[in-house]
Amino acid sequence: MRRNIGCNIVDHVISRRDFVLGTAAGVGLTSMIHPAAAAKLKRDQKRVLQIFLQGGVSQLESWDPKPGTELGGPFRAIPTSVPGIHISELLPYTAKQMHRLSLVRSINIKTNSHAQGHVFMEKGRRNGDFPFLGSVASKYLSPANSSLPGFIHISTRGLTDNTAAFLGAKHAQLKLEGVKPPSNLGRPGDLTLAADRRRNELRLRLNRRFTAGRPKAQVESYDASYEQAAQLIARKALFNGEQSAKDLERYGTHDFGRNCILARELLEQGVTCVKVTHHGYDSHAENFNFHLEQLGEFDRTFSTLLDDLAHRGMLDSTLVLIMSEFGRTPKINIRYGRDHWGTAWSIALGGCGIQPGAVIGKTNAKGTAVADREVDARHLFHTYLQALGLDSTAQHDVPGRTIPIGDPSGEPIKELLA
Amino acid sequence: MIAALTNNSTRHQAVAFGGRSFCSLLRAVLLLLVVPQALVADEPLHWRIDELIGTGNAEFLSRAAPRAGDAEFVRRIFLDLVGTIPTADEVRKFLSDPDFDKRTRLIDRLLHDPRHVRRLQYVFDVMLMERRPDKNIPSKEWREYLRLSFLENKPLDQLVREILSADGADLKLRPAAKFVLDRNLDVDLVTRDIGRIFLGRDMQCAQCHDHPSVDDYLQRHYFGITAFFKRSYLFTDPKTKKVSIGEKAEGEVTFVSVFTDEKGETGPRMLDLPGIADPPKAKKPYVVKPAKKARAVPVYSRRLKLAAAMTDPSNVAFRRNMANRLWALMMGRGLVEPLDMWHSENPPSNPKLLNLLAGELLDSGYDVRHLLRQLALSKTYQRSSRLPDGVKLLPADRFAAAILKPLSPEQLACAMMQATGLIDRTLPGIKQKLKAGKKTGADASQESLLIEQALDGALADNVNLFVTTFAAAGVQSTGFDPSADQALFLRNGTVLQDWLKPAEGNLGDRLMRLDESRQIAVELYLSSLSRRPTDEEVEEVKNYLIACGDDRAAGLRDLAWALLTSAEFRFNH
Repeated sequence: MRRNIGCNIVDHVISRRDFVLGTAAGVGLTSMIHPAAAAKLKRDQKRVLQIFLQGGVSQLESWDPKPGTELGGPFRAIPTSVPGIHISELLPYTAKQMHRLSLVRSINIKTNSHAQGHVFMEKGRRNGDFPFLGSVASKYLSPANSSLPGFIHISTRGLTDNTAAFLGAKHAQLKLEGVKPPSNLGRPGDLTLAADRRRNELRLRLNRRFTAGRPKAQVESYDASYEQAAQLIARKALFNGEQSAKDLERYGTHDFGRNCILARELLEQGVTCVKVTHHGYDSHAENFNFHLEQLGEFDRTFSTLLDDLAHRGMLDSTLVLIMSEFGRTPKINIRYGRDHWGTAWSIALGGCGIQPGAVIGKTNAKGTAVADREVDARHLFHTYLQALGLDSTAQHDVPGRTIPIGDPSGEPIKELLA
Repeated sequence: MIAALTNNSTRHQAVAFGGRSFCSLLRAVLLLLVVPQALVADEPLHWRIDELIGTGNAEFLSRAAPRAGDAEFVRRIFLDLVGTIPTADEVRKFLSDPDFDKRTRLIDRLLHDPRHVRRLQYVFDVMLMERRPDKNIPSKEWREYLRLSFLENKPLDQLVREILSADGADLKLRPAAKFVLDRNLDVDLVTRDIGRIFLGRDMQCAQCHDHPSVDDYLQRHYFGITAFFKRSYLFTDPKTKKVSIGEKAEGEVTFVSVFTDEKGETGPRMLDLPGIADPPKAKKPYVVKPAKKARAVPVYSRRLKLAAAMTDPSNVAFRRNMANRLWALMMGRGLVEPLDMWHSENPPSNPKLLNLLAGELLDSGYDVRHLLRQLALSKTYQRSSRLPDGVKLLPADRFAAAILKPLSPEQLACAMMQATGLIDRTLPGIKQKLKAGKKTGADASQESLLIEQALDGALADNVNLFVTTFAAAGVQSTGFDPSADQALFLRNGTVLQDWLKPAEGNLGDRLMRLDESRQIAVELYLSSLSRRPTDEEVEEVKNYLIACGDDRAAGLRDLAWALLTSAEFRFNH
């Protein structure tokens, strides 16, 4: 039942944990992997880029414009690189990328709460203790040879979510506050490089002695956390804020621009899921001015990032998602705002495993309800995973439990899958 | 007389088929008389545990780890009972004590140490609240409630009854209401967590349909628990703004399977036990009628039936779950594992043993200390974690060798503060302050209680920092999941680096005063790993210091760091 869209089955059947822990299966397969196959694994590694427009982006000012209608607002719709698809004039650069993207215009998640919408869109489950998309990707897609964290979230604020649930801390998001490096990345001032190396060698020697006659798995997992830390330290330059002038000019010098440059670099380094949160879409007042400003920042930066991924040959293996916790009401309130709206809204997606240039579903003429092909976050979650070549109807690989990966009451949007 | 009875009974059986009940009565009397009594009633629990695990089974014994050495034992029992490691002096004293019964004496001493109360407070806080952020009851009050409960060794069933019945309005037991109030009386969440934490069954899937893969988790089980809470609601007092639980006198629970459309209706019930019927409808159903400004109190409360139903002896799931959790606490894994996935496809690895422990819990009046003591006395607990060369490890659920237990965030913080000498440095000030404030206790035990409290307060920020770094909120995953940021915290963070700096009386200071590498190695190993170093390790320390050249201080600091971040320190082994 497992979908296999041109990707090496090994990289998602064997979780990274098996490799790291050196369980019987992991050891066997590691030794079986030929260097050439390892290179292919690296090239074929499936990745996820999530751009989360936090607060709830207005579908009417982005993916599903209704110009000239009663509730459509002041902005026009413009043609895109795909004949017949029009999006808001606030996204001129993205419009030129439309042949790399698809739209789902018929989402109804039946909630207008930030927290519930966010969790539902991330977990594909309305409630309960389930892992976020990024943690699932980290667990099943991170290759053996990567010792970097599998799920990195770049955000400038917000709470730390419990993203991994039963998949464990290793697959939880590592949260970066913008391009600021993670805490404790720098070596203490009075510790020389040589001394640091020496004490680490001693630590490993002690651990080797300790495991004689004892089960090794947990100790190896403990060692792996230090190895991951060392990899982050070695890549400290990624976080030092010295991004090239050329990149900054192309992406923009604002936080979102810098965060997207970092996202590109992390994906290149082999991080499985990188999520960038762009804050500030909760426009209960002055919806139109806010979207003009916010999407102006988003549009050019995102389009540059998509170009870069395409030019590096990474788009075929990287699932790109532009999501939100919900959309915004068609009704315009007295402060020229639009309010929370989970009833009929849109997302955009593209890259790995996604049919480009498609539009799924539609809303009615005024945009007040879904008119065709209603879906919710359960269907989207199945779709994301199947696009990545994972069987979303399989069970999680957790000892003693049978937990379906995607909600069994949902199914993928088949016509979106390439 | 006995002989006559025996003869009678056998003859009776042999020649006639009638009088069966008389016959079995005779056999029962006979059994009691002829079986040596020690094997039945007086045999201590820890013997029976070992018998059921494998004493007498030659094949098991040939593959079981030997008895742990004194050093391995002393570290383990300190961590398990008082949540920290022993000081170097405590280790020395224990190792040199010739008394053959010293382990029992130590167990009994630690069970009466004020730190044991703190340890149980931490354990049960995490078990019950799973590190949820505070909602309605400040954790400070809740933890103090737990601490006082364990201080008086409150029976576990009584504790659970208080937790499940407190409404938050009765101020005396308000902290006990945290379990429900901090889950915002979200009926689904409360139902699920009662199933998981008190019954060992995660019935989440049974919310929408009978569990697809677990045959014995049924929708009616889930909704039977829901029914205890369905009439209850959160009430915010208009004056104090305090949130408590109100309850209406009506409201039924119905459910529909999303798969089969089958409908069901249930009143309150505990799994497959008979439902608890409401009394006939009263003419006046309320003590306090529901109103905007008043917390409704019904004459008959479904919610208040839960506590008794949960802890009633007929509900074996409760005591088996609790016995399993206490076993897992000491032995490193449950007889049912994961702890909240008890069902016919995932049965206990040793059902007789679990029944024995559950029975003992009930018979002892839910005495947690008694059970922990018996577990600690068992050979099973006291086995080494290390197998002799050439012996192949049996599956972990056979308990043939001690299982590595990752230190909890609290244990890790306390053990590191102990090892680096931060505690030694903090204690004198605390004692002085208590003396100056004339807060010395009436007797020694009261005084040690006051000292423990003051020390806990003084070091709380450090413990919290470790909890923030090493713990995950929400449903506890059973595995060991170290992450990069935790390693960075220990590797480069200022906290541990500061603790390692020499300051009067701490580990760094003591090491700096020693010249000879053997002395240094011994002090280092006793303080951090609670054992003496091997010759190889003494040599290693010596060579390490030579390699560091002139910077001896840095060398000592880094040696200590390596020991504190080693797996031997990270695990209770």
